[in-house]
Amino acid sequence: MQRTTEAPSAVRATRPAEETALSKESPANAKSTSGAPRISIAVDDTRQVRTLNVKAAVDNVNFYYGEHRALKNLTIPIADRQVTALIGPSGCGKSTFLRCFNRMHDLQPGTRYEGSITLHPDNLNLIGPGVDPIEVRMRIGMVFQKPNPFPKSIFENVAYGLRLRGLRNRATLAEEVEKALRGAALWDEAKDRLQDSALALSGGQMQRLCIARALATKPEILLFDEPTSALDPIATAKIEELISTLRDQVTVLIVTHNMQQAARVSDYTAFMYIGELIEFDEAAKIFTNPSKKATEDYITGRYG
Amino acid sequence: MPSLVDTDPIEGHTAKSFDTALSELRLHLVSMGGLAIDQVASSMRALLDGDESLARLVLSRESLINDFERTIDREAFRLIALHQPVAGDLRMAKAASRIVVELERVGDEAKKIARFAMRLAGGEPQGPVRAVARFLRNMANLTAGMLREAVRALDEANTDLAHGVTSRDAELDEEFAAALRQLLTLAMQDQRFLGATIDTVFALKGLERIGDHAKNIAEQVVFVASGEDLRHLNQHKEG
Repeated sequence: MQRTTEAPSAVRATRPAEETALSKESPANAKSTSGAPRISIAVDDTRQVRTLNVKAAVDNVNFYYGEHRALKNLTIPIADRQVTALIGPSGCGKSTFLRCFNRMHDLQPGTRYEGSITLHPDNLNLIGPGVDPIEVRMRIGMVFQKPNPFPKSIFENVAYGLRLRGLRNRATLAEEVEKALRGAALWDEAKDRLQDSALALSGGQMQRLCIARALATKPEILLFDEPTSALDPIATAKIEELISTLRDQVTVLIVTHNMQQAARVSDYTAFMYIGELIEFDEAAKIFTNPSKKATEDYITGRYG
Repeated sequence: MPSLVDTDPIEGHTAKSFDTALSELRLHLVSMGGLAIDQVASSMRALLDGDESLARLVLSRESLINDFERTIDREAFRLIALHQPVAGDLRMAKAASRIVVELERVGDEAKKIARFAMRLAGGEPQGPVRAVARFLRNMANLTAGMLREAVRALDEANTDLAHGVTSRDAELDEEFAAALRQLLTLAMQDQRFLGATIDTVFALKGLERIGDHAKNIAEQVVFVASGEDLRHLNQHKEG
């Protein structure tokens, strides 16, 4: 009986220099002309190699709250227009990591970033010292655990970011608001009550409104921090369905405590533990046959 | 790279009921395996020794095998529905549903052999069975051994044992081919025993199938332990 004992998984992000060779091998993926790196996931003999563009390359990221090092040498490729889930026990740093992407930590004194999160195609280091957090937040949207609509009308909630960007034309505003509400699967429920207060919506509707608000400004990456932990199963299912459809237009990064949710919605899953990345792979691999025992222990509930 | 083991995790699953359900599933499979092994050994002894009461015992225990099948399948189904297992737990639940089918078929083969033993005891000509008795005995020992190892591999989650089972299947196939040649020669020389010859071929084929079931169980044990799918690997290489 011959058995192959290859390394169970090999994940690598290729640099632009290597990219030309890769593109030649896979003309189907050659649409990227931007010079962005690719992510190749080559695993055991039963799985095909997938090559995708990297939207954000996380390279050796460390993050400090004062003296406390909360993130340790994280290197993860975030695939373009795919859903990447971050899982791990409380305190493992997954939310801290998520917040690096839109510079949320800048609001808190005594914090420090190291390493780089390179946003492609223009190679902007999101956590670079000279980079304006406001500019970063224009490109990276975020949806929080608790729905947090402004105490304004449904319409104004969605139009808010567009107005900030100087959009004044009423017709264009209305058009963009509709597009965002449709994108967030809320249009049919909200179209006849656009001037009603957002606070009159149900929890699930409020969360979809927050997604619409984030979508309106056409972010390149959408961050979700446990977006359904305050919602009932039906509202949760709607949000999950929505996340699946969003992947066509935006790169999604989601933190979730619900393992089944990570399995259902994500293309790639990263398991973190005390600030470190333990395992990163396709979600289907992580949830059927993880390579690391620590990952298996966590996802099967054998870790307290 | 930190290890969860260093930080003293809680032993076992946080939900004790899940751990209990999972180990019960394994225990029931092993019990069913034990019964199936005994069915095979008893039916073959009944056939070779002309022991009618032993053949009756095998037939009467067929319903026990079927009960095991229903119970274990229901348990595995419940486990998946109520606990949504992933990774190794999911592989175990899935493998249990598969192994139970293999064991039930082993039981079926034993039942058919026992029925043949009853017919022999009732006066069917014994010539063909006598002619290949040596092969029948060898194959019975081989299949019972393979089954025993497969069930032990399952019990101990031992992949080395499991690989041993899959490698012995070829030996069984050779014995089967040799026995068929012998029977063919006999049938050409003397055509009075054609009915009994066909029955004997079915008994040999039954043993050969039991070996396949043992191999399939062993493959599931490897799948549970490593997620590796060994099925039809040889075909892929040849094809």
